[in-house]
Amino acid sequence: MRDRPSGFANPWFQLGLNVMCVLAYELLLKAGAKATADLSKSWSWTGITGLASPLIWFAMVLIILDLMIWLYVLKYIPLSIAFPLSRVVDVLVPISCWLILREGISPLRWCGIALAIIGLAIVAKPAARLEERL
Amino acid sequence: MTLWSLVLILVWLVTFVAGQLFFKRAMELSSVAGFRNRKIISILSAGIFPMTISFFLNLGLLQRFDLSYLYPFQGLSVIIISLMAAVTLKEKLTLQLTIGALLISAGVMLVSLS
Repeated sequence: MRDRPSGFANPWFQLGLNVMCVLAYELLLKAGAKATADLSKSWSWTGITGLASPLIWFAMVLIILDLMIWLYVLKYIPLSIAFPLSRVVDVLVPISCWLILREGISPLRWCGIALAIIGLAIVAKPAARLEERL
Repeated sequence: MTLWSLVLILVWLVTFVAGQLFFKRAMELSSVAGFRNRKIISILSAGIFPMTISFFLNLGLLQRFDLSYLYPFQGLSVIIISLMAAVTLKEKLTLQLTIGALLISAGVMLVSLS
């Protein structure tokens, strides 16, 4: 890992920003895909019919932005640390559904969330050590 | 799930992982050689191509299946990418990182299965 910039350009901060983008576009994609599911049977497996939804276009703008952020993150953080950490989004989605949409979470699902959080903490440790070495 | 869906899911996973590996390789090189280098641009393009395929396949799959059904497969990508980064990019994969990645994968799969 090279010398990393501080403040807004800090790669860890950017990784957080990346997670927020992914969270937003995942929800947009699902909503857009759902809205266009019945447009054309023969082409729907390619996903191309999704382009009929403005939500998909909005999501694509976010994806391009996210891609640039992600490439920036990869410049500084090893893929085997950055990618597992970026999956914190898989924990954030059900938790935000629970908090905002009042969706129920089964005990088994809570176990999964706990497991993923422990895993994230374990991966974050070598990441912190990486930081100390700078 | 039909065999065809399984094939689509597999292709989606493989193209996604390949794209990530190309991206990382390109960014690694860019810190040494700068962005104008032709080799870096071609590696970046090599990453964007499978990523685009994976994007549209993902959309197609989302039209057919619930997000919660597809998520376990996305969960698998954590451990696959960590392993592939170690193999192809020579990143140091410690035992701690492997256990962490495995737990995240398992956690994500459990979240979506329940």
